[in-house]
Formats: sequence, structure tokens, C-alpha cells
Amino acid sequence: MFRLTNERLGWLVSIALLILVLYPLLAVVIQVLLPGVFFGNWVIGDLSLLLEIFKRPLWQKSLENSLLLGIGTTLIGTLLGGVLATVRSTWRFPTAGLLDAAVWLLLIMPSFILAQGWVMFSAQQGLAVNLFGWDWVPGAVFQPAGLTVIMTLSKFPLAYLSMKAAMEWKVQQLSDAARLGGASPIKVWATIQAPLLLPALLAGAALVFMDTIGDFGLPSSIAAIYRFPTLPYSIYSALYTSPIRFDMAGVLSFYLVLLISVAMLLQFAAMRRSRFDFMSGGAVPSVPKEAGKYRWLLAAGNIVFLLVIIGIPIGSSLMMSFMQAQGGGVKAENLTLANYAALFDGGFQLLHGLGRSLMIAASAAVIGLVVGLLVAFVLTYSQFRFRRGIEVLSLVTLAVPGVVLGIGYIFVWNQRWLEPLGLLLYGKPAILVLAAIAGAIPVITRIMVGAMAKVPQSFLHAAGLQGDSLLRRIRRILLPLMRGALLSAGLAAFGASVFDLAVNSVLFPPNYITFPVAINKSFEDMRFGYASAATILGGGVVVAIILVIELLFRRKEARS
Amino acid sequence: MNVYPIQWKRVTTGIVLTSMLTVLAACGGNNGAENGNKSESGAAPSPTAAPTTETVATEEPAVEDAGKLVVYLNDFDAIIADMFKEATGYDVELVTGNGAEIMSRIEAEKGNPHWDIVWADMMPSIHGLGLQGQLLEGWEPENLSQVAEDFKAYIPENKTYFPTGAHASGIIVYNKNFYTEETAPKTWADFAKAEYKDQIATADPAIAAPAYPFVAALFDKAGGVEEGKAFFDSWFNNGLRVYPKNPQIVQALSGGEVKLAALQESNAYSMVNNNEPIGIIWPEEGAPASVRVAAIQKNTKNPNAAKAFIEFLLDAKTQQQLVDEGEEAYFDPAAQGVTARPDRAANAKLIAADAAWASQHEAEIKQWFADKAVK
Repeated sequence: MFRLTNERLGWLVSIALLILVLYPLLAVVIQVLLPGVFFGNWVIGDLSLLLEIFKRPLWQKSLENSLLLGIGTTLIGTLLGGVLATVRSTWRFPTAGLLDAAVWLLLIMPSFILAQGWVMFSAQQGLAVNLFGWDWVPGAVFQPAGLTVIMTLSKFPLAYLSMKAAMEWKVQQLSDAARLGGASPIKVWATIQAPLLLPALLAGAALVFMDTIGDFGLPSSIAAIYRFPTLPYSIYSALYTSPIRFDMAGVLSFYLVLLISVAMLLQFAAMRRSRFDFMSGGAVPSVPKEAGKYRWLLAAGNIVFLLVIIGIPIGSSLMMSFMQAQGGGVKAENLTLANYAALFDGGFQLLHGLGRSLMIAASAAVIGLVVGLLVAFVLTYSQFRFRRGIEVLSLVTLAVPGVVLGIGYIFVWNQRWLEPLGLLLYGKPAILVLAAIAGAIPVITRIMVGAMAKVPQSFLHAAGLQGDSLLRRIRRILLPLMRGALLSAGLAAFGASVFDLAVNSVLFPPNYITFPVAINKSFEDMRFGYASAATILGGGVVVAIILVIELLFRRKEARS
Repeated sequence: MNVYPIQWKRVTTGIVLTSMLTVLAACGGNNGAENGNKSESGAAPSPTAAPTTETVATEEPAVEDAGKLVVYLNDFDAIIADMFKEATGYDVELVTGNGAEIMSRIEAEKGNPHWDIVWADMMPSIHGLGLQGQLLEGWEPENLSQVAEDFKAYIPENKTYFPTGAHASGIIVYNKNFYTEETAPKTWADFAKAEYKDQIATADPAIAAPAYPFVAALFDKAGGVEEGKAFFDSWFNNGLRVYPKNPQIVQALSGGEVKLAALQESNAYSMVNNNEPIGIIWPEEGAPASVRVAAIQKNTKNPNAAKAFIEFLLDAKTQQQLVDEGEEAYFDPAAQGVTARPDRAANAKLIAADAAWASQHEAEIKQWFADKAVK
């Protein structure tokens, strides 16, 4: 019966993912095979397109660049995230809280804004050269290795959060035993703590990889200086070429899905035959120790690091938001508050947009949390036969550019027969919520799976034997053990959805401009100061909301 | 093993179904809450208020409009809705996006279009929509009488779209810190000169809306596809840099990455107005034009408002207002008797490729350009 109920849950989760992710994605990929299928034309497409990736210079280069950037960023980003999470969970030092705030900020900031900031800093006449006289910066940044570093500094938070969540609990007995047995702290770390963190490490690495190869913001912003086409960039060109080539976007998306499938197979292979549900009676919440004489050293290092990862990209936006002319430099006569004043002009249009985006993101985070929790449960505790499939689906939207999903949503939710059912959602705000959920599922699921991996099934079995229903077991045992992860997941999903540009730009209903669309429009209209001011305002509001929720919940946790 | 009562199944089914329903309910809720002060959302078709002033003198007044007019456009979104409402009494809902976003929406919606009007500066692409049979054919607006002769030439035989103005999709701009009017390039062919090597930027025709008309016009001017390729090869061999869109060229110019560019005219003039050190040259041979055209969706449910919108756009009064108040104000208006911006060059000469030719070779040229730009 236990298997059967899990089976049920498995099917329900499958259906949810099918509707949210697979169907829209297939709707685009099928364009390769049947280009006119949604308009009543049954024509077979040109399958030779599938091989074009090895022939067309643009596509070939895109694949190469994507792989290079993806692998490089994954390696360095995971390492960086892991080291930082370890330091943060091991020692207490001044400014440590700022690191967490910075990580959240990076996570919710859309990559095109981060990248814009980096570009403003490192361009030929950017802040680095003009303000500090660092002539070497442009040359160092605008080359593959430089871009990998920038990408790393933007994407490492996924690895950091995954690792940090996993370090919330530890089995002190094992480490103590090893220490008593004479092992050095480093040896304890290398042979006991680190191996137990493997699932979180791999999950973090997979997330970084997928988010990187699916990223459009960096290649498009960097393109202002250095041409570095990637797969998502070519997908955009295919969609944005007239006559529009949905079939080409389908081919390239197919390759993206293939890439992440390979990445996941590697992850599965690495984790086979290992068990990581180490939590038992001996597990204790991990509390950082005082860093002692090193505390100021750590604090100083932390500050320098934050100046780089936040100071450069967001500081550039901040400066830009106070500037009149972009090329005017930092001079008194070029400074102004007009950009901020302009945000409140014109009947609060922008603020309405922000309100809409916050509502959409909040709905998506709450519903996404439920879906993500169930998905993670099936992945972790069930023997459901399509588990692998569910896992791939739960991650696909990270790597597939939002615009592909957006087009798929139009195909799926704009079919005439849905109208009498009241389900013709294209053209209604509901579709933005659905798309935001789809976009949020990867992060939510990953964080949950990472946390659940530590909770042994026997806990749930034990409660089950006492007659507890599955729902109660989840509520009474699982949830309290992973409250931190739940909070992280929900907030990450919320923050990222507010700024999700790609999906919004093809799906927003008439007269229903959302916040990222408004920001992007002002970037396109070259109102860089206004766009930067809007970014700072929106980012500030979102961060404030997240901090308040964090404070409320963490305090509750501390009290209980 | 079997200790879980049957009811569990129902509970699970319940949870998931409820959460799915919540999705819908929550969304419905949003819908209402968000649009509360905006009357109905576009989805709920409610008969529009009858126009206050008599503007539509169409032959078939018997057809009632089913809802609000939906216009897909890429510019003038800040002012056009209010202007139209004031002039005709019709409400209008806008979907704003860059050219590519608008076109991909139209294409993806093909089975069930949500738009009534498309109005954008991409004549070849809209011409393509006409070829696919997506546009209303054969209707002739009364205000066509106001349109200048050279603009009438853009209207296709089956009258699927109408020009409202044209702007230069590329003029020569130079950074005054490095060049003077004398030393800067004066013709498009000058871009191949060795002295300008690695300093020139242009927008990617596959991404930027006005960039394809730019490239197409120069292909046409060169004498055909092969000749056009040879012409642009001379630019590529001179280290041409291709940026996705015009604003990125602006950034590159003010950041000093490039010193010269073929830049869309509104972008160029607003750089000048922002006190950037930028000089503008209108080549005597002509600057490639990007023609802004408006078209009606073939199966529009709001034919009266749609026709009123076209009449309104072709009206000289409207176009004067766009010049005076619009953010894309630098253009050559299609209607007679409209004064263009005073600071816009008096000798501004525009050339355009034939829309049918440009539309026919669109995929080929864009792909060639994209593959070329990678190298």
C-alpha cells in the first residue's frame, strides 16, 4: 500500500510537470517535425536541421561557447560556492550575514542587469579604466576566461545555497569519534564531512551548469563589446528572425535539453550505490564557532569579495541611476535624482508593474513550493518508475531559455477549443503565474531534494507504522527538519520570478506591463539612468520583503 | 507494510487537485485585483462604448465590434492610446515589444490571433504577413488622400498595409573626440577604408527591427544578393562589429569600444541631445529607410475600431503630434503638411529596398549575416 500511494503521488506529480513543462516544451520541439501542427497544417519538417549544428558556423560556435562557459563556470562556481558555504557554516565572523544577503541579491537579480553592470565597469571607457586607471581590465574581462569568471561570480550562489542548506545539520558524533581517534581537522573534513555533502555538491554543480548554459543575459549584454554567441543567443536569433524559425529554436532547445540530460546522467552515476541519509539521533543543528583571532581576517576577506561580486555589478547600476548622461562620468554636474523622480511619473505605471510582478511571483512561489515539495518527495522517497523522467523535467526550465517556454505556452494555451472551457489562458495574467511556477520549480526542487537527502526514509516508516498518514508524516516530520530549506526555496523562487524577463516579454496580456518588461523597455529606449533607478528600486523592494520574511521565520525558529 | 488507509489516496488526489485549482483560482483572483481599476481585462469581451465622435464612415456599419481594439506595436506606446481615445472615443489595449517580440507573438498566435492591428517599423516582415494571408486586404482608408506620393509607392497592390512614416535605419555617426566632419566617412563604401579598420559598428539584422531594412536596402543598392554579400564582405574584412541592437551600439559608442557606426536615427539624435560627443552625417547617396506601416488582422473582431485606427494614423494631425510628442520623433512623416523635427537634417535622403524583394530574401540574407558575424 505504501508503494501504491507513492505511485499515486508519482503520477500526480508527473501530470503537473507534464502540463507545466513538458507539453509547452514539446510544442516547440515538435516544430522541427511538424512545423504547422498548431495551425492545422500537417507538413513534415526538415529533419536535416538537426545536423546543422555541426555545419552552420553560428550554431557550431554557439555550442562550443556554451559548453566552454558551462563547464568552466560549473567547476569554478561549485568550488567557490562550496568553500564559502563551508567557511560560513564553520566560523562566526563579523559581516558573515552580509554574504548571505549578497548571495540572495545575486540570485534574484536578472542576469542581464548583472551583466550590464559588469559591462559598465569593464568597458574600454568604463569605470575601471576611468575611475581607477586599470587599463588591463577590458582585456582581461572580454575573453572566454574572463567571461567564465564573471559568470562564476554571478552563478555560484546556487552552489553556495545548496551546500549551506546541507550543512545545517551534521552528525557531530562521527567527527568527534574521528577527532578522538587522532584525525586532524582537515582529515575529518576530507573523509567524513565532505563525502556526506556530496549530494548537495553535485546538486549545486548541476544547477550552476544548467543555469549557465541557459543564460541569455550575459552573452547579450557582453555582445555590446565582445561577440560571444551561445546556444540561447542563437535561439533568440532564430525566434527573432523574420520569417520566424520556430523549428530552429526547437532544434537548439533540443540540444540544450540533451546537454542537461547528460549532466544529470553524470550526476546519477556519481551518486549510485551511495546513501547519504545520515541524519539520525546523533545529528545536531550545526552552529558556527567563533573564529577567534582570524575573525577580522575573515571579515576583511569577505568585504573584499563582496565589493567584487556586488560592488561591481550593482554598484555600477547604482552609479548609473544617479547619472544624467551615460558617458558623462562621475562629476557633480552630471549627478541627478531625476531618474528616481521619473519612476513616479505618469500615473505610477512602473509601480503598478512592480505590484503585478510581486503578485505573480508570490503566487508562483507558494504554489511552486507545494509542487516542488511533492516532486522532491517522489524523487527522494519513492520507487516511482518514471522518477528519472520527473527529475529531468523538474530541471529543464532552468536550461531552456524562458522565451522558448513562453512560445510553447502560447501554442498550448491559445488553442480555440480551450475557450469554452474557460482555459484559454493566453492573454490573461494566469498564464504568467503558470510560467513563473514552471520557471521556479528547478530551484525549489533542488533545494528540497538536497535537504531531503539527509532525512532517512526510516523516520517516515517509523511514523507510518504508528498509523500516521503520509500527509501528516510530511507535515510533522519532514517539514520541521527542513524548515530552512523550505524558506530558502520559497524566497529564491519569489525573488527570481519578479524579474523573469524572457517569459514575461512574450506572454504579458494587453495593457498588463510587468516590472521586468518595463525595465527592459527603458534599457531598449536607452534610458539607462531610468532603467538603473527602476532596477535599484525594484531590487530594493524585493530584498526588503525577503529580509523581513527571513527575520520573521528565523526568529520563530530560534524561539522554538 | 499495508498500514496506510485508503483515504490517503483521496487526500493526495485532493491536495494536488486543489493546488492545481488554486493555480487557476489564484490567477483569476489576480486578474480581477490587478485590473480592478482598469475595467475589464482584455480577455472578457465587453462591448466597447460607442465612439463619441463620428469618425468611422465605413461602408458596413452593420458589423459590431466585439471588444476592445488590441494593437501590437513597438513605439509610441506612451502616448498613442490616449491620443486615439481622445480623437475617436475608442478604447485601445496595447502590447508593446521590440520588433522581434511582436513578430514572434503574431507568428505563435497564428491559429488564434489576439491582435487587431500591428503597427511597427518593419515593412518586410509585415509584407510577409500579407503574403501568408494574415492581413485584411482591399480596404482603402479615406485618409489615404493625405499621404504623400512617395509614400503611396510603399502600399502593396492588395492594400494590406499603409505607411505612416519612415526613418533612417542607419546614418553615419562618429565620435567627435576622434573624428571631424572632414575625417569621418561620408559614404557607405567608406566603411571599407583601411583608416576605419576595427572601429565600425552596426546592428544585427537578425535581432534589431530596423537593421534588416538597413541591410536589405544596401543589398538592393549593390544590385542583388551576391553583390550585396560582396559589399558587406568589404565591411566584415575591415573588422566590422555587429551588435544585437541599436542601444548596444550607443553604449559601445559612448563607452569608446567603437568610434563609428551605422546607427538608427532616433538613437543617433538622442545621443546628441544627451550631450554625447557624437556627430551625424547623412550620406548623399541616401540612408536606408525603415518604413513604419500599419495593418489590420484579417479576421479582426473589431473592424470598426481597427479601421478608425488606421484612418487616425494616416491623419496629418496625428502624425504632427507624434513628431511633437513621441519618443521616436525623428522620422519623415507620410502625411503631407506635417513638419518634421527642426533639428533633423534638411537634406535627409531615404532609400528603401522593394518590400517584396526584401521579404523574399529575408531568411537568406539574415542567416548569411549571422554566420558571417561569428567569424
